[in-house]
Amino acid sequence: MKKNLLLFFLIFIYEAQAQSDRYSIRATVADTSGEALPFATIMLLNPVDSALITYGRTTDKGLLEFRNLKRNTYLLKVNYVGYLPFQQEVLPPSGAVADLGTVRMKLLNKDLMEVVVKTARAPLSIRGDTVEYNASSFKVPPGSTVEDLLRRLPGVQVDQEGNIKAQGQDVKRVTVDGKRFFGDDPKAATRNLPAEAITKVQVFDSKTEEARLTGVDDGKREKTVNLELKDSHKKGGFGKATVGLGTDKRAQGKVNYNRFDDKNQLAVIGMGNNVNQTGISRDDYQDFRGSQSFNWGGGDFGFGGGWDSNEGIDVDWGGNRDRGFSENWAGGINYNYETKKTKFSTYYYYNQTRQTLDAVTEKENFLNQSNYLSTDDNSRINRNRNHRTSIRFEKQLDSLNTIVIENQMRIGKGGNRMNGVQRYYPGRTRLGTYSEMNNMSDFNSFLINTKMLYNHKFRKKGRSWAASAQYNLNNASDLGDQYSRNIFYGVGAGGIDSLYVVDQNNDTRSLNNQLKAGTQYVEPLGKNMFLETFYNFSVSRTDVEREVFDQADNIQIPNNFLSRAYSNEFYSNRGGTRLRYTNKGFNFSVGLAAQHFGLNGRFSGMHDGTVSTLKKSYFGWIPNLSVSHQFSTNLRGYLSYSPSMRLPNITDLQPVVDNSNPIFVREGNPNLLPETVHDVYGNFNYFNSGSFFNVGIWGNYNYRKNQVVYAQEVDENLVTHTRPMNISGGRGGNFNVYSSIPLIKTKLSLRVSTGLTSMLNLTPINGVDNETRTFGVPMSVGFDITPSQNFTFYPSARWNVNNTKYSISSSQNQKISNVTYSGEMNLKLPKDIYFNGALNYNIFKNPRQGFYLDQPILNLALYKLILKNKRAEVRVTAFDVFNRNQGVRVYTSQNFASREQVQTLGRYFMLGLTYNMRGISAKMQRSNSFY
Amino acid sequence: MNVRIFFLACLLYLPVGMVNAQPVEGVITYEQTNYWTRIYSRLEYLSQEEKDRIKLTWGTNDKNTTDMKLVFTPDKSHYTYVSKQGQTDDGRYSWKLSEYVIYRDFAKNVQTDWIEMLGRLYQVADSIRAPKWKVMNKIKDIQGHVCMMAVTEDTLKKQSITAWFADDIPASVGPGPYFGLPGAILELEINEGDVVISAKNIELRPVGEEIQPSKRLKGRKIDLKTYDSLLSKHFSDSMKSRRNPYWSVPF
Repeated sequence: MKKNLLLFFLIFIYEAQAQSDRYSIRATVADTSGEALPFATIMLLNPVDSALITYGRTTDKGLLEFRNLKRNTYLLKVNYVGYLPFQQEVLPPSGAVADLGTVRMKLLNKDLMEVVVKTARAPLSIRGDTVEYNASSFKVPPGSTVEDLLRRLPGVQVDQEGNIKAQGQDVKRVTVDGKRFFGDDPKAATRNLPAEAITKVQVFDSKTEEARLTGVDDGKREKTVNLELKDSHKKGGFGKATVGLGTDKRAQGKVNYNRFDDKNQLAVIGMGNNVNQTGISRDDYQDFRGSQSFNWGGGDFGFGGGWDSNEGIDVDWGGNRDRGFSENWAGGINYNYETKKTKFSTYYYYNQTRQTLDAVTEKENFLNQSNYLSTDDNSRINRNRNHRTSIRFEKQLDSLNTIVIENQMRIGKGGNRMNGVQRYYPGRTRLGTYSEMNNMSDFNSFLINTKMLYNHKFRKKGRSWAASAQYNLNNASDLGDQYSRNIFYGVGAGGIDSLYVVDQNNDTRSLNNQLKAGTQYVEPLGKNMFLETFYNFSVSRTDVEREVFDQADNIQIPNNFLSRAYSNEFYSNRGGTRLRYTNKGFNFSVGLAAQHFGLNGRFSGMHDGTVSTLKKSYFGWIPNLSVSHQFSTNLRGYLSYSPSMRLPNITDLQPVVDNSNPIFVREGNPNLLPETVHDVYGNFNYFNSGSFFNVGIWGNYNYRKNQVVYAQEVDENLVTHTRPMNISGGRGGNFNVYSSIPLIKTKLSLRVSTGLTSMLNLTPINGVDNETRTFGVPMSVGFDITPSQNFTFYPSARWNVNNTKYSISSSQNQKISNVTYSGEMNLKLPKDIYFNGALNYNIFKNPRQGFYLDQPILNLALYKLILKNKRAEVRVTAFDVFNRNQGVRVYTSQNFASREQVQTLGRYFMLGLTYNMRGISAKMQRSNSFY
Repeated sequence: MNVRIFFLACLLYLPVGMVNAQPVEGVITYEQTNYWTRIYSRLEYLSQEEKDRIKLTWGTNDKNTTDMKLVFTPDKSHYTYVSKQGQTDDGRYSWKLSEYVIYRDFAKNVQTDWIEMLGRLYQVADSIRAPKWKVMNKIKDIQGHVCMMAVTEDTLKKQSITAWFADDIPASVGPGPYFGLPGAILELEINEGDVVISAKNIELRPVGEEIQPSKRLKGRKIDLKTYDSLLSKHFSDSMKSRRNPYWSVPF
C-alpha cells in the first residue's frame, strides 16, 4: 500500500512538472487592415535549422493556436496565398501561453506576384521584405545584355542612358557574384555582360561604400543589384596530350582539346604514330564528335534495303596490331551546336596511312582427283590519304515538322605497290609454275553525298509522314602498271618450259551518279497497332573507261581485248507495308515488300568497236517478321526473319574475259540472277540486377538462294579460270551461350561461353559441286578477380576447334585448333605508381599440314601519376617482351586450307608522357558498360 | 473599376474559395524527368574524363520522362505509373516498366510499397516513416498554385530533396515516398535537378476505388529495416562493380 502511494505521488509530481514544461502559442492572423485571414497555413519550425515540427491552419476567424509545446524557442511561419509569408521567432513565455496578439501579413507586391510567380513561374526567394528571382525565367533574345534583361524585370526601370532604378530608387552599385565589377560604374556590368550568363538577380539595400571602408555604419542604405553568374553543369574545357618515344624508332603522339557548354561543342584532335594504330580510338572519336557520335543513317524506309553506306571517320576499335607496319597521321576539327529545336554539326577530318606488309602464304588447294600446293611471298606498300568534310543541320520547324539536311564529302588519294613471287606445286613436290609479279597503282577519288529528310507528325497521335531525297556522286581514276613473268615448267612441246610475260599499263576512269528517294506513311490502327507503308526508289548511272596498253620495248600498244568502256544504268523500286503491334513490352511486326531491279548495260571495246548490251529486269517478294517480348523486366527475347535480295556486282555481269593475270583468268556472266539470303535470328537475355547474374543465348541461321559463287576450272598447268554463277543451297548457322556468374559479389565472377558454328559452302570445281562443310566449337572460360581497388586480375582461356570437310577430297579434311590463354593484371603500388601486365599465349595447330605455332605475347606497363590533381602520367611500356608477334592467320574455305604469316611489330620499349587537364585516373578495372 | 482594386479583389476572393481547409481528395498527374548526364556525373567510380564524355555524347538528348499519378483521400494516398509501359515518342515500340506502387494509409499508420528492384518484386510493409522536412523561404507557382519550398535528404541514396508544396491543397501527400507537409507536394527535385517530378494536372474529385492498389500485387514481404540494408548494400556493390545503381532501383 505504501509503495502504491509513493508511486501515485511520484506520478503526480511528474505530471505537474510536465505541465509547467509545456506551453501554447496563440495569435490572430490578419492582413494589414486588420481583416482576419481564415484557414491560413501555420507552421512551427526549429529556428536553428528550419526543421518542420508541426503545422496546422487558422480557424475561420483567423485564430492560430499551437498547444502543448515543449518549452523551446520556435520559428512561427504563416502563409496565405497572395501575401508575403510571415515569420516570427517565439520565445517561451513565463506563463503557459505565448500570446502574439495580431500577426499582420503584407500583400505580396502585385507585379512580383503576377509577373514573377504566375507568368515566369520563377521561384521567388523571400528575405524579410526583399525578394530575389531567377533571371533565366525571363526570356530575352540571344545576344542581349544584362541591361536588356533588367528592363524586363518587374519593379526595375532602365532609362536611355542606362541608369537603373529599382523600386523607385537609383541603383548605385551593381555587383557580380557579390564582387564589384570593373569599378563603380553600374553600367559597366549591365552593358557588357551577356544576359545568358546570369542566373539570378538580387535587389537589396546595402551599406554605403564609406561605411564599408570605415567600418562605421552611418545608417544610410543604397540600392544594390547583384548578378549571380550561371554555373552550368554542362560547361567545361579540357585537353589532353600524349607523347611517346621508343626503341626501334617507335613513336606516338596525340593531342586533343574540347570546349563545351549546354549548346556548343568544339573539339580539335591530332595524332600520329608508327605503332599500328590506324585510327583514333573509340573514346577519342566520342570526344571529337560529341553529341553527333552515333547519329547515323536515315532515308531508306521499311525493310529489305540493307544498310546505307556512311562516310564516317575511321575508328580503331583495337586489335589488328599485327598487320605489318603502319605509319598513321590524322587530325580534325568538329563543331556542334545543339538546342531543343536546332542541331548543327560540322567537321573536317584528315587521315593518312602508309602500310608495309610482307606476307608469306602457303595454300593447299584441293581438286577432284588431285591437290596442289601454292605459295605466295610478297611485299606490299599501301598508301592512303583522305580529306573529309561533313555538315549536318536538323531543325524542328514546329512541334509537328522536322527537316534534316546532310552533306558529306571525301577527297581521297593513294597508291599500292606490290612485288612478289608465287609458286605452284602440282602434287606438292614438283615446281610447276613460277611467277614473279610487280604491280603498282595510283588512285584519286572524289565523293559527295547529299541528303534531305523531312518528317511530319499529324495531330492524331502515331500518324506520321516522312520523305527523303539523296544525291551521291563518286568520281575515281586509277593509273596502274602490271608486270608479271610466268614460267610454266615442262608444258611446251617436247617438255620444254614456257615463258609468259605480261607488261601492261592501265588507265581507269569511273563516274557514278546516284539519285535516291523514299517515303513512308504511318497510320495508327487503334492504340497499339500501326500500319507502315513505304516506297523507296533509286536510279544510278555508272560510266567506266578502262584503257590497257601492252608495253614492249618502251612502246605502248593499245590492248584491244582489255581496253573496254561500259555504261550502266540501274533502277530499283521497293515498296511494301508492315503491320506493327506493341503492348507492354510485346512488340510484333509482319510485312511484305515487292522489290524490282532494272539494269541497262552497254559494254564496248575502246579500240575494236565491239559493242554489246545487256538489259535485265528482276522481281521478287521480300517478307519480314520480327517479335520481341519482355517476359519480365529481367528476361527478354527476340526473333526475326528478314530475307534480303542483292543484285549481282556489275563487273561480274560483264561478258568479258580478263586475262591480265595468266595464272588466274576471270570471266563475267551476264546471266547472273540476284542473290536472296534468308536470315533467321533469335536471342534471349536474362539479367538479374540483384545478383548481377547474366545469361545470354543467341543464334542465327541463313540460307542462300542463287548465291553468286566463283566456279573454278583448274587446268593441268594449274591455271585457274573462274566464272561467277548462281547456286542455291549454301547455308550457315551458329548458336551461342554466354553467362556471367558472380561467385563472390563485386570480387570474383566467372564468365563462360560456348557455342556451335556450322557452314556449308558450295563451289563448282572442275565441273563438280564441292561441298565444304565447316563445323566449329568455340569455348571460353574467364574470371574477373577484383578483390580490391589495388589489385585486379583477369585470367581467361579460349578454345576454338574447326573441322572442315571437302566433299571432293575427303582425304584432305582439316582440323584446325586455336587456343589462347590470357591474363591481365593491374596493381596499384605506393606513391601513385601502377603496373599493368597482359599476356596472350596463342597456340595454332593444323596436324594435316603439320603446322604448329605457339606465340606468347606479353605487354607490360609501369606508370606513375604526377603533378597536382594527378594531371600527368609518366609511362614505361614494353610491347611484345618475347618478340614473338608474327601476324598468323590460319583458315579454310572453299577448296583450300591456308596459313599466312606477316612480318609485323615486334618487341619495343617506349617512354610516354601524358598531360590531361581533367586529371588522370588509373584504369584498374575493366569497364562494364558503354554510355 | 480600378484595375488595382479588381486585382486585389481577385487575390482576396480566390484563396477563400480554395483554402477552405476542408478535407480534399483527387488525382495529381506528374511528369517525372530523369536527367542521365547529371545522374552519371555523381557516380564516384567514373573519372572526370568519362563524365565529360557522357555529357558530350548525350548532348541535349540526355533525359527520359514518365507520367506518374498520385491518388489521394484525406487518409490514404496511392502513387504509381499512369501507364504500365514505356514507349518511344512515336508510340511504335514499348517496354515493361518495373513495378512501382507507393501506398500510404495515414489512419492506420501503415505504409505498403511494391517496388521491383534488384531483380525481384518486394512488398515493403511497415509503419509509416515520415521524411524530416525543413521549410524554406521560397515560393513558386506550379499549375496555378503558389507553392512553398521544403527540403529534406535521403541519407541512404545520398540525395538532397527539394519539394514545393501547395498549402491551398490541404492534403499532406506527395509523389514517391515524400509527404508530410501542410499541403500536397506539386514538384519534387532530387539532387537539384537530377530527377524532377512536376505536377502537370490536378483534379480535385472523389476518387472512389482508385485509391486501392491492385489486389494482384504480390512480392516478397520485407520491412523498412531490410529495405534499407538491401539498398545500402546495393549502392556499395554497384560502386565497386562500376555500375550505375539506378539501373536496378528506382530513384
